[in-house]
Amino acid sequence: MGRSPSRIAGLLALGAFVTLGASGGYAQAPVKVGVVGPFTGPFATTGAGFRQGLESYVALHGDKAGGRKIELIYRDSTANPTTAKALAEELLVKDKVSMLGGFMLTPEAAAAAPVVNETKTPLMLYNAATPALLKMSPFFLRMGQNISIPAELGATWSRQQGKSRGYVAVADYAPGHIVESSFIARFEAEGGKIVGKDRIPLNTVDFAPFAERIANANPDVLEVFIPPGAPAVGFIKALAARGLTQKILIIGQGEAEDNDLHLFDDSVLNFHSIIYLAGSLDNPENNALKAVLRQKFGPDAAPSAFTIGAFDGLHVMYKMVENLAGKPFDGDAAVKSVIGYSWKSPRGPVTIHPSRELVQNFYVRRVEKVGGRMQNSVIHTFPSVEPPAIK
Amino acid sequence: MTVASFILLYGISYGLVLCLIAVGLVVTMGLMRVVNLAHGAFAAIGGYLSTGLMAEAGVPLPLAIVAAVAAVALFSLAIERLIFAHLYGASELDQVLLTIGLNFLAIGGLTLAFGPNVYPTRLPSWLAGNVDFGFRAFEVYRLVVIAVGFLVMTALFVVFELTTIGAQLRASVDNRSMAQAAGINVPRLFSLTFVVGSGLAALGGAIGAPMLPLEPTYPFKYLVLVLIIVALSGFGRVKDALGVSILIGIVETAGRYFLPAVSGFLVYALLIVLIIWRRDGLFARSSAS
Repeated sequence: MGRSPSRIAGLLALGAFVTLGASGGYAQAPVKVGVVGPFTGPFATTGAGFRQGLESYVALHGDKAGGRKIELIYRDSTANPTTAKALAEELLVKDKVSMLGGFMLTPEAAAAAPVVNETKTPLMLYNAATPALLKMSPFFLRMGQNISIPAELGATWSRQQGKSRGYVAVADYAPGHIVESSFIARFEAEGGKIVGKDRIPLNTVDFAPFAERIANANPDVLEVFIPPGAPAVGFIKALAARGLTQKILIIGQGEAEDNDLHLFDDSVLNFHSIIYLAGSLDNPENNALKAVLRQKFGPDAAPSAFTIGAFDGLHVMYKMVENLAGKPFDGDAAVKSVIGYSWKSPRGPVTIHPSRELVQNFYVRRVEKVGGRMQNSVIHTFPSVEPPAIK
Repeated sequence: MTVASFILLYGISYGLVLCLIAVGLVVTMGLMRVVNLAHGAFAAIGGYLSTGLMAEAGVPLPLAIVAAVAAVALFSLAIERLIFAHLYGASELDQVLLTIGLNFLAIGGLTLAFGPNVYPTRLPSWLAGNVDFGFRAFEVYRLVVIAVGFLVMTALFVVFELTTIGAQLRASVDNRSMAQAAGINVPRLFSLTFVVGSGLAALGGAIGAPMLPLEPTYPFKYLVLVLIIVALSGFGRVKDALGVSILIGIVETAGRYFLPAVSGFLVYALLIVLIIWRRDGLFARSSAS
């Protein structure tokens, strides 16, 4: 059978139609997003925070970006790095997700790094805060903080308050060690004197001996870093029982967030912390988030670092999909397209720095009673703090 | 002086709470050789119940503790009759598997009932303050814990050493078949001990809650400390359990004060040394043979 020109033209037309149809179909197919978090186990409240942040974002901004539906697929890592990695692989291979989010703890994110590097998949870190983490993958974007920043700001701020005798008490694990070295370096560089430092074993039950040690060293500022929950409650209570919360300036990070304050008694009053958000911030974005949280999850629901990390992570994902509208999703291009992107987050104005960290405000907060209810009130703002350059 | 008094006071109060939690297991393990790894669950339930009664129903602390202890004792009787009665004579592996399973059940149940977070405890105002001793102030709470702990342990000691029931218990621990042959109803004695031991654990969990925070994983978190006390006390020795607990309390407190970096495993080093040195229990009489 000979090849007639009309036949060839027909085939070409058919081919063009199929190609067009395929790309048209691609532009409308949903973009899948895998969310890996601890939805059960000891960190289940973190997982709940992730989910609340994502569902609130969808409630406020819809489930479409750049004309495509965004489909969230939740997977439970129980904060186990091996599980987190396996889930990342499963989500990419089986569910064909284009982006990943979550990965609460640094080891979880580190385990997933080779997977996203291989598949060029953007991954939003909602919480993991180890400085070196972003070096492990060019596809990581941090929606939380670099843990050394609030420690350094704690040193700067306490020196501004005239404090000169510093004490550092941190949980004895990697993030604690970073807080310890960051605070000490900045505090000494600004002329303060370190009168003591302790690494508290994670299995500590009775914190009274640490409070006693700290009190006997007679510091005027104490930088602490202890995991929230039972350890933070036990430690702050022990400090209060020794009279330290009233006597000296105690600065933490996320030990006593608004939604954890009910775990404490009044002894937590006057506890200071420095972090990138505050439930009491009065801006339209934060008020909208608070309203939708209350409406969807009950009167006690309040924004936490986990909620806001997930909320902003989804915002950046929507932005990536918009930037790539009409084209197939490409991880490399997606990450490049949001560098330098600025928007208004419930935590205040933020910009994605070339290091893939956020340029954001840091707030010095103090636990106070407002109208019979305890809250973290902002008493000082460090505006638009730049993350350190990647070394 | 102030440091030494701090370590003594806090070490003893911490040790006494551990002692109340562990002593029931020391006796029941001595009596029936049943390794009840779920023993800590009774302490957790006691703590949750008393704290919950105070927070939710406004029951005063002493009443809440009594109610929690009674409830846990009754509950443990049911558990003993329904579950543990089948375990006597089972292999150690079976016992460990079953009681670890019970622990997981307890953790799941507590999470379901009270949520996955730490359950907040608030001291009543009469316990919350400090009392000034001139050279320094101490928490009223710690002093009350010491008073209650010593009172309860003394009562237990009197029952164990000076009453007929105590003599029957000691005889059954030393030689069960002989005791049974002499007409002692060992299973009933065991039920009784099990109930009292669980009640004491509940008491420890309840008055210790401000010191050992209540969280669903409590039954596992303190299991190691409890087992260390059991191992160092030797089978069924109430008096030794008190000594060992106070020693552990003081070593842990002093360790955290003087050597914070190694305080996490100091108690294990102590355990290894003591087990090698006195395998039958720290204060065991050397056997005649």
